[in-house]
Amino acid sequence: MRYLSRRLAHGFLVLAGVSVLSFVFVALAPGEFLNEMRLDPRISPEMVAALRDRYGLDQPLPLKYLHWLQSVVRGELGFSFAYDRPVAALLWPRARNTLLLTVPATLAAWLIAVPIGAWSASQRGRWPDRVCAGTTTALLTVPELLLALGLLVVAVRTGYFPIGGMRSAAFAELREWAKVKDLAVHLFLPASALILVNLPVLIRHVRSSLIDVLAAPFIQGAHARGVPPRRLLFRDALRAASNPLISLLGLSIAGLLSTSLVVEAVMSWPGLGPLLLEAIAARDLHLVIGAVMCSTLFLLAGNLVADALLYLSDPRVRADQV
Amino acid sequence: MKRVVERLLTPALLIAVACAAVAGAPQRAAVRAEDLLVSRAEIGRPGGQLVINQHAEPKTLNPVTAVDSVSGEVIKNTIADLIHVNRETQRAEPALAKAWTMSSDGRRYTVTLRQGLRFSDGDPFDADDVVFSFRVHLDEKAHSGQRDLLTIGGQPIAVRKIDQHTVQFDLAEPRAGAERLFDGVAILPRHLLERFHTEGRLADAWGLSTPAAQMAGLGPFRFKEYVPGERLVLERNPYYWKADRSGTRLPYLDRLVFMPVTSDDAQTMRFQSGEADIASKMTAASFDVLAKAGQAAPYKLVDLGAGLDYSFLFFNLNDLGSSKLPDTARKQGWFRQVAFRQAISLAIDREAIVRLVYRGHATPLWGHVPPGNKVWINRSIPQPARSLDRARQLLRAARFSSKPDGTLVDQRGDLVEFSIVTNAGNSERVQMATIIQDDLRQLGINVHVVTLELRALVDRLLKTHDYEACVLGLGNADGNPNTEMNVWLSSGATHLWSPEQSRPATPWEAEIDTLMRRQLTTLDPTARKRLYDKVQELVAQNLPFIFLVSPNVLVGADKGLGNFRPAVLDPHTLWNVEELFWRQKRSSGTP
Repeated sequence: MRYLSRRLAHGFLVLAGVSVLSFVFVALAPGEFLNEMRLDPRISPEMVAALRDRYGLDQPLPLKYLHWLQSVVRGELGFSFAYDRPVAALLWPRARNTLLLTVPATLAAWLIAVPIGAWSASQRGRWPDRVCAGTTTALLTVPELLLALGLLVVAVRTGYFPIGGMRSAAFAELREWAKVKDLAVHLFLPASALILVNLPVLIRHVRSSLIDVLAAPFIQGAHARGVPPRRLLFRDALRAASNPLISLLGLSIAGLLSTSLVVEAVMSWPGLGPLLLEAIAARDLHLVIGAVMCSTLFLLAGNLVADALLYLSDPRVRADQV
Repeated sequence: MKRVVERLLTPALLIAVACAAVAGAPQRAAVRAEDLLVSRAEIGRPGGQLVINQHAEPKTLNPVTAVDSVSGEVIKNTIADLIHVNRETQRAEPALAKAWTMSSDGRRYTVTLRQGLRFSDGDPFDADDVVFSFRVHLDEKAHSGQRDLLTIGGQPIAVRKIDQHTVQFDLAEPRAGAERLFDGVAILPRHLLERFHTEGRLADAWGLSTPAAQMAGLGPFRFKEYVPGERLVLERNPYYWKADRSGTRLPYLDRLVFMPVTSDDAQTMRFQSGEADIASKMTAASFDVLAKAGQAAPYKLVDLGAGLDYSFLFFNLNDLGSSKLPDTARKQGWFRQVAFRQAISLAIDREAIVRLVYRGHATPLWGHVPPGNKVWINRSIPQPARSLDRARQLLRAARFSSKPDGTLVDQRGDLVEFSIVTNAGNSERVQMATIIQDDLRQLGINVHVVTLELRALVDRLLKTHDYEACVLGLGNADGNPNTEMNVWLSSGATHLWSPEQSRPATPWEAEIDTLMRRQLTTLDPTARKRLYDKVQELVAQNLPFIFLVSPNVLVGADKGLGNFRPAVLDPHTLWNVEELFWRQKRSSGTP
């Protein structure tokens, strides 16, 4: 319990630090929200001045931060200039969509990576291992943007998949099972993009951790005593290799989140990605910070899960705390 | 008194009870006769929906406070104005106003409203709604984007109700083409918004989370549903005030679905695959990709020719005084010479820009009114062809000289080099700047291209004045000179090369000031055109902006879409949304 509360306190500190830093960065970036309006000949400087006053853009930075903290306490997470609404109301539906994309993608990526990595480790040096290494290298070199666009092109050519979006326009009229199917069809391409981007890293890690373990004397011994190789690989070796892999889980969530911002924007997935992108371009201060905080929160939650798993699986971690 | 007779309301068509029944509006025992406007477009078939992609999400449905173009695209379908500029003919036409008269001094407009009309929630519309709407748009605290346009001679327009169906507008001074001011001024439902306005909370009204039942308008569609990040759906307004020649109430379509699709590529692919039915403001690259399918394609592409946008290069002519920018101040010695600017203009290869940046889908420009603006263009503006020789002559006459290696130096022997800033997000502008860089290298001028994010760029242009030259674009929303006052008046905030001057810096700027102010109050259209022609000449001679090209308006729609008549004026494809209908729909995509 002490371990958990310490991790929580640590997470809270990170959140506070991220909020201050992102606040300073966004505030120091040249240009402000109303600048695009200034280029419109139909809008007078008086009107821009009135809006500056309304949004409190002239306040000094510490005061702005204080106002933001107050709104965090109220549960609003600040106020979006562009949407004229509290940020929290804008974030939650999109955060949910981002989770809807990243959670299945994370699970699928691990479910694919573990057997392939393990198999590749057991075949070390032989041709399946080489093919695997070649494929992962190739995948690693493809930028995520290109991968996402490439998948879209596939969708256009084949016509099997919708071109981006999360639901069809006629979603509301569909029956229950058709709704699930519609969602799954829309999920397939962005999730594939996420999986393909993150898969090579995971496979390589699984492979190298297992290779270390497979070389260990206890595995060699079990092998010599005639334990079947498959059982040895998936039951004993994998368990022994779980420690670095669980740590990797936390990291992989960070990777997936940052990839998902790009993939969402390209594939029009209504998550945090497009919202954050537009908010940064528009200098919508509170919305940027809100979206960054939201991503940080996911990241911390992912790491916390990994920590908790580590705590449960590795007695040494528990021993350190006593 | 000049009587403007309504041209659209052909043989006295006061379609009443019958029409209400056709469109499925609730029938009442005694429905008042409705002054329906009869469309002369092809008679269509009711039903179906239209899917439209947008670059970002709409932010609000509040017609008063909306300032971003994405929200505007949606809101335009839900509102109506008294007098509307026909996007096809570019002329003002009756809308909610059945007719209007202007007093001989041009200061009083008396508007007769259509009778028996209803808002999209079924509540009746009358003069009180009009008076309320203008009160809101003119209220300083409401932050209406229309307020500045409705303030004439420093005074807000005075609005007075004469009777239930007549409203009188008094202007502090005569204003040419004042009827165009009514275009886009949304008439609001007093019964829904007055409470918000009195409490000073108008900005909170009609956000995206407001229930549809609490919103109403006079446009062809009304709000139905919003799913954050995914789509916004408008449904048919059963009380809309236009009908077709057969008496069917418009609009034909049941729904408009707006979907945010951030990237251009994804938008193109969605249109190609039939997941979006209509494409506006396409890039030349997307247009060419889609055009490859040729006649067999299930969609139709239209290049409407030059629009109202124009791009240009300009130099920093701000009075930098004893500022922290000594280097820029020194270079202003060149920038301020008309001959220098003329030489630059002569060296720029506009045809290359059209060919390379816009793949042929643009029109070279030498003045600020593009050929898309049929009413106002001055066709006698000279269009000198590119000539490096003449450019060199001009530079020599201005005491610039070339070193043996070809580089250009000024009379003090300083190398002529400067930087061009432009906004990073706009690849066309970056490419134009690069072409200019190459063109000027042939004169021996060394140019650096610097890209900045748009909002950071605006800081430099309008606040710190820390730049040397810039490639930018502007658009004239309705083609009328009045909306560009702030660009050409030397005191204007978007007089980009040297904004907000306390007094005109040059004689030609002073002359433009006078001409622009005179055209504002000149009621005779021919005299007014002459004044604006002169402004165009002065600008073309003095080149505060060195004009480059006007991008063509590129649009597309599914071939099965009837009454698709795109226009150069914004909104290019949806300006006649009430008349659009499905002849047949291709099978792929949404049903």
